[in-house]
This record gives sequence, structure tokens and C-alpha cells, in this order.
Amino acid sequence: MSKVKIKSKNLNVYYGDKQALFDVNLDLNEKEVTALIGPSGCGKSTFIRCINRMNDVIDICKVTGNIEMDGMNINDKDLDVVSLRERVGMVFQKPNPFPKSIYDNISYGPKIHGKGETKSELDQIVENSLKKSALWEEVKDRLDEPGTSLSGGQQQRLCIARAISVNPEVILMDEPCSALDPIATAKIEELIDELKKTYTIVIVTHSMAQAVRVSQKTGFFHLGKLIEVGKTEKIFKNPDNKMTQDYITGRFG
Amino acid sequence: MSNEHTVKSYEEELQFLKDSLIKMGSLTESQLSDAMDAVIKVDKDSIDKIIKSDEEINKFRSKIDTQIMNLLVKRAPMAIDLRETISSLKISQDLERIGDLSKSNAKKVKPLPLDLPDELLGNLKRLGELVMKQLNDVLDSYVNKNFDKAKEVWEKDEQVDDLTYIAMESVIDFLSKDKKNLDFSTHLIFATKNLERAGDHITNIAETVCYLVKGEYLKGSRPKGKVIQE
Repeated sequence: MSKVKIKSKNLNVYYGDKQALFDVNLDLNEKEVTALIGPSGCGKSTFIRCINRMNDVIDICKVTGNIEMDGMNINDKDLDVVSLRERVGMVFQKPNPFPKSIYDNISYGPKIHGKGETKSELDQIVENSLKKSALWEEVKDRLDEPGTSLSGGQQQRLCIARAISVNPEVILMDEPCSALDPIATAKIEELIDELKKTYTIVIVTHSMAQAVRVSQKTGFFHLGKLIEVGKTEKIFKNPDNKMTQDYITGRFG
Repeated sequence: MSNEHTVKSYEEELQFLKDSLIKMGSLTESQLSDAMDAVIKVDKDSIDKIIKSDEEINKFRSKIDTQIMNLLVKRAPMAIDLRETISSLKISQDLERIGDLSKSNAKKVKPLPLDLPDELLGNLKRLGELVMKQLNDVLDSYVNKNFDKAKEVWEKDEQVDDLTYIAMESVIDFLSKDKKNLDFSTHLIFATKNLERAGDHITNIAETVCYLVKGEYLKGSRPKGKVIQE
């Protein structure tokens, strides 16, 4: 049995009067990939934003219920959100490198988190992060070029390298391949396979095929409710819930 | 019933696949029945027609293969659609094999003498009727997505085994009375065995239907009747 890394219990999220999540109970296993699927606006991104408290930046957002990482209450008011985000990295739909060099994109995080005090330590972190994100060979001779000069797929791997440079425990990916071509997507998926040996990964995706390829567990959300969660193979071959079946087979309507 | 697919052409393609399989099933039924009749009545005139109908069944098989390839490439089917697609592939293979066995039985009619005794053919006829009924039931279970009926067919193959044994025994008895019967008796033994094999393909189809409906394979081993050692 895998160890549970993140545990949510009766998690509710409100944006003002509008409730976005309803009593979500979902366990994410350590060093596994969990895929979250569901139609737009179903709450899957809202859910992952609870894991690194990204919802804090939205004034009208209110979170009730429990969400824990290794038994630590993520919603604790006294929790240092910066150190939480050091432990929980995030990669977004559109690659968003800083307007800085490739090197600085990676070294920025470790610097502000007080990791890599000397230049050689930072060099090592940059190299390791780029190697882990399978980008090193492509950029090692142009580290001082702007991150934005890279192709879309490379930029996304740069963002993954940036996320892992601070040595997080969890990586959240919100539709990380939706802006990428099939080859760049394949590279990210290959990378996810590699990264799951070290990190707990949650990926929000609209591609059923991608969810099947990369994840071990899948959760289906609809209108803010977690409708069904289970082993990916089971969900895509023989789901228990009719709504899940209708969604993944393209019958939703 | 499920809602329809958002993409209409996907819905049509799946329906077209199901329709093709049902047509192939119905052709296979006719061919099996014709081949049985030909053996029982020693009707040498129908041999060519039966052999020809096997070509039709084979054509259906390749048509279904193409439809399945297209569905997999275009739609990447999931859940019930995936099971429907994969099951169609498996069922069409079993139907094609049943067709081959019927063709083989039709060919066995040629060397048979016209004056075969009734007691020799009676058991073979009963076996043929049972296999026919099994094929009919399993195709019904496919059309109606009826798990219980498919499971019933699967369990009833035991009776096919038993009748095969009895039919074989009567041929062997007949053979042992006069060595001159050896030539055509061998053909009757093969024809009997072919029916038993067709029965096995029918149980494969029954297993596939069970998987299609519930997404799980039948557990445990199928009940087996008496078997003549090969």
C-alpha cells in the first residue's frame, strides 16, 4: 500500500457566494501520479490550488474542511505559506518562465529559499534541475540566454526544472501540456514518469489518453463534487459511476 | 441506456460495428445450420454453397477489423466503448473460426455414402442442434447485453462435451463392426470434433459478452463434460 501524502476531508471552497467544491474527500498517494479530470469549471484546479494555498491570493475565496500533507494542516492560519510552496511546486497550463536567463529562472527559487549559498552550489542545483527535467543537453551551452527564447515545450520543461530546483515533495501540474505539440507533450509525459520516482504528482488534464498514460489514480470531478476516484485502469476500463462513464466516453450532455 | 455521444459520427461508427457483427453472426448461424443439414442428409449439392458462404463470413471479418482499427485510431474509445470495440474484435475472430469449422464439415459430406444408418447420425444431429442453439443464445446475449444468458451458454458447454462423447462413441461402434467403414467414419469423427470445437468458440464468445457487460472476466473454470482423448 502506498503512503498517503495529501489527504482532504470534507473540503469545501467558496468564491464569494458561489461554492466551488463540495465535501471533497480525496487521498493522494506518495510518489504516485494522480490525474484529475472533469469538464471545465468542475473544481479540479480549485482542488489543486488548495494544496499549495494558491487560493489565498483570491480575496473572496473561503476554504473549510481539512486538507493535510503528512498530517500537517495545510489550512492552518499560522502556516508559513512560502515554506509550504517550497514543498509543493506548481506548473501551469501556459509556460511562464521569468523574464530572466535560463540560469536565473532555475536559481531564483533556491536563492530566495536560502538554498545554494555559493555560486558552485547554485551551479550544481541548476545543472541537476535541468538534468531532472530532461532539458540540460539542450540548453547547457546557452544558460545565459533568456528563458523566453526557448520553444514552448522547452519553456514548460524549464518551468518544471524551476519547480524542482527547491527540492519539493509534491508537484502540481495544471494542464501542463495543453499548449504543447505531441512531441513536446511526449517529453513531458516521459519526464512525469521519471519524476514520480521522487515526487508526488497531481496533474489536471483534459486529455483522457494522457490521464491513462501518466497516472496511477484518477479522480473525476463534476460541478464541484468528486464523483469517483480509483485506480486509473479501472476508471477508464470499467468505471462504477455512470456519470464518469458518460464523461470519459464523450457522452456528457 | 446511456446517453448518446456528443460526436454523432462516433455514435454511428459504433452502431455500424455492432450491426456488422450481428450480420456476421447471423451468416455464421445459417452456415453452421446448412453444414449440419448437409452432413445429416448427406446432401452433396449444398457443399459449394456452404463453402462460398464462408468467403462471405471472412469478408465480414476483415470489414470488422478495418472498422475497429478506424475506431481505435479516430476515437481512442474508453470504458464501455473500449470494451465494445475489443469485444467485437474477439467475437468476430470466434465467428470466423466457427465458419471455418462449418466449411470443413461441409467438405466432409463428399466421401459419405448416401445410405448411412439413422442410429449413426441421430446423435450427431442432436449435437448439431445443441451447438446451433448455443450459437443462437450467445448471439442473443450479445445483442441484448445479457450477462446471465451468456453465462448460461458458458455453463451449458458441458452438455456439448457430453453429446460429443456420445456421438463419437456411436461412430466408433459403427466403425468397429466393419473395417470397410473406416474411410468415411473418420470423416464423421472429424465432423463431430468440429462441432465440439465450434462449441468452444461459442463459450469464448459467451466469456467475451460477460466481460463486455460487466467489465470483469468470469471467474473459475468452465464445467467440462466427458472428453474423448485426442
